[in-house]
Amino acid sequence: MLNRLWRAAPYIVLQLAAMYFYQLAGSIDYPATPGRIGPDFWPKAILVLLGLVCVYEIIKNVLVGESFTAAGLLEKLMKESAAGQGEEKLPAYPLRLAGGIGLTILYVATIDKIGFFLATSAYLALFMVIGRYRQWGVIAAASLLGSLLLMFIFMKLVYVSLPLGVEPFSAVSVGLLSIMGVR
Amino acid sequence: MDVLLNLGHGLLQVLEPANLLVLFIGLVLGMLVAVLPGLTLVMGVVLALPFTYSMGLLPAIILLTAMYVSGTYGGAFTAILFRIPGEPIDVPLLWDGYAMARQGMPAKALGWTLFAALGGGLIAATVMVLLSGPVAKFALSFSSPEYFAIIVFGLTSVVSLGGGSISNAFISLLLGLLIATVGVDSIYGAERFAFGLPFLQDGIEYLLVMVGAYGLGEVFTRLEKGFASQGPAADTDGKIRTELPSLAEIGKVKTTFLRSSLIGIVVGIVPGAGATVASFVAYGAEGQYGKRRAELGSGIAEGIVAPQTAATSSVGGALIPLLTMGIPGSGATAIILGAFLLHGVQPGPQVFATSGPLVYAIFASLFVSIIGMCIMGYFAIKLLVKVLDLPEAVVSAFVVLFCFIGAFAARNNLSDLYVITAFGILGYLFEKFRFPIAPMVLGTILGPLAESSFMTMMVSYSNDWTVLIGRPVSAVIMVLAVVALVYPIQRQLRERMAQRKA
Repeated sequence: MLNRLWRAAPYIVLQLAAMYFYQLAGSIDYPATPGRIGPDFWPKAILVLLGLVCVYEIIKNVLVGESFTAAGLLEKLMKESAAGQGEEKLPAYPLRLAGGIGLTILYVATIDKIGFFLATSAYLALFMVIGRYRQWGVIAAASLLGSLLLMFIFMKLVYVSLPLGVEPFSAVSVGLLSIMGVR
Repeated sequence: MDVLLNLGHGLLQVLEPANLLVLFIGLVLGMLVAVLPGLTLVMGVVLALPFTYSMGLLPAIILLTAMYVSGTYGGAFTAILFRIPGEPIDVPLLWDGYAMARQGMPAKALGWTLFAALGGGLIAATVMVLLSGPVAKFALSFSSPEYFAIIVFGLTSVVSLGGGSISNAFISLLLGLLIATVGVDSIYGAERFAFGLPFLQDGIEYLLVMVGAYGLGEVFTRLEKGFASQGPAADTDGKIRTELPSLAEIGKVKTTFLRSSLIGIVVGIVPGAGATVASFVAYGAEGQYGKRRAELGSGIAEGIVAPQTAATSSVGGALIPLLTMGIPGSGATAIILGAFLLHGVQPGPQVFATSGPLVYAIFASLFVSIIGMCIMGYFAIKLLVKVLDLPEAVVSAFVVLFCFIGAFAARNNLSDLYVITAFGILGYLFEKFRFPIAPMVLGTILGPLAESSFMTMMVSYSNDWTVLIGRPVSAVIMVLAVVALVYPIQRQLRERMAQRKA
């Protein structure tokens, strides 16, 4: 039963989300015109369809325990490819994944404060370490030179205004930009 | 005659040094992206998009189109030589391409891919030039029901053509359509699912969904596996070269070649189905109708020619609906559409009248790209496969950065970085729970167009949706859409019942 519930879990979550958003769609505020469908019609239609597919999958997985899944036309060929390649099961590193996601969120949260160069150099170096790379010289060179190169390309050539950060970090960004000749 | 003249003018534009340089860069980048297992073709084109912001429209499209076409070819090298498919497109090449290489004929296998990419690509490009004008003229007569029907067909075909569960693909599509409704709607000005947040009121750009789900999602998935992809075996290094097939050998595979070119063009035209689908379908057709179908998988030329021809010829096919109707035929053309829109040009039937020289220059660039990529593939193959030595963790770290810069540069809005991180996590979860990403992305891209054509149809025809089956063109397309969705389900139910009886 636990196995069946696990299989149905994504559909239960999606079903609940569909119900919540359907309710939200009902409260969309707009000037109604008689005889015309409103801006809530389209999202509601999508949510009804989403709910129906989820209900079908929940019933199939939990109540019937049915293993049949209608698959797309390429399924057979792809299965053959997996069999042909003799795909080995690779070990999973959930902690590395969590670290990578956490680091990415931290990068997004801090780039505005510490500026593109410092945030990016640190992010690149730490991401490589989390990704099991241990050539320290390459890590240092790739993260520092890579950040500088990207800063140069985007600010000097493509004219994208990357975040400079706040004091005292902005002094680093401004200093590098003046060396590059970016005003 | 007019077409040839226009194409000649287009060619002159492409041969201008600046455009030629951009084309060359596009070809190199496309091949590199295709060779590296951690980077997909669509991801590569997405990552190149921010570099086009400061370019003119023509060089921008030339760069992305060159990347797109060479991306369908570059992965063949590593699939054949090292059994590393750089792209899902190249998986069918493992069966016969790698097998032929193992029989001591790697140069011959590479020669067959070069022939297939060159021939298939040029045939499709010619068909594209010949068909686009008439299709654009025909599309001018389309009204909202026809547009809506075409979009429905594109969306249902992406659901039914992929691998994996149809239910999951359908859910993915519906989520994409729902994401496209976020923000202020264009008809009533009503706010939908924005939760009062300013960055959501502007809507969620499909670029963010694409970059997040394809780019970040893939990096997270590979990070969980510890970036475990293997580099090539060192001893193959000295033997890499290409041996072209003779005319007599080509004559023996002409049926396979023509059938696969046709499959590639047709699959390319179908909105939502790209080079990967074309490659698999062509290999499947070879297995069903080929003269040497019993030997398929043992290292025969037909098994290489079929998927490679179809993959490259799908590019010309996919550009037809993009340029004539403004509907992308694949993930990569969706990004090319984005480049058009960023430069203030909406592709569609009118573009032939208003920007004819631009369209023909794009056509000409495809011919030059195909020839250029084959020359490059012939001479630079040793150098290209060297990129496999790059550590995956380093490449992935830079991929994430390009994703962020690409997303940020589009609107200079830091909130967009949170959005793509969220879609990166969603992309990872999709991969984990076996939900395909392509339908969601296509739903996000085509969602606004689907809704606006549906709403226009309902207003124009007094809320009478039966107009969809009352007009001949829309009726035929709607029937095709229903068949596309029902056929795989019905086929599998029938197979299952037959198995039970047995």
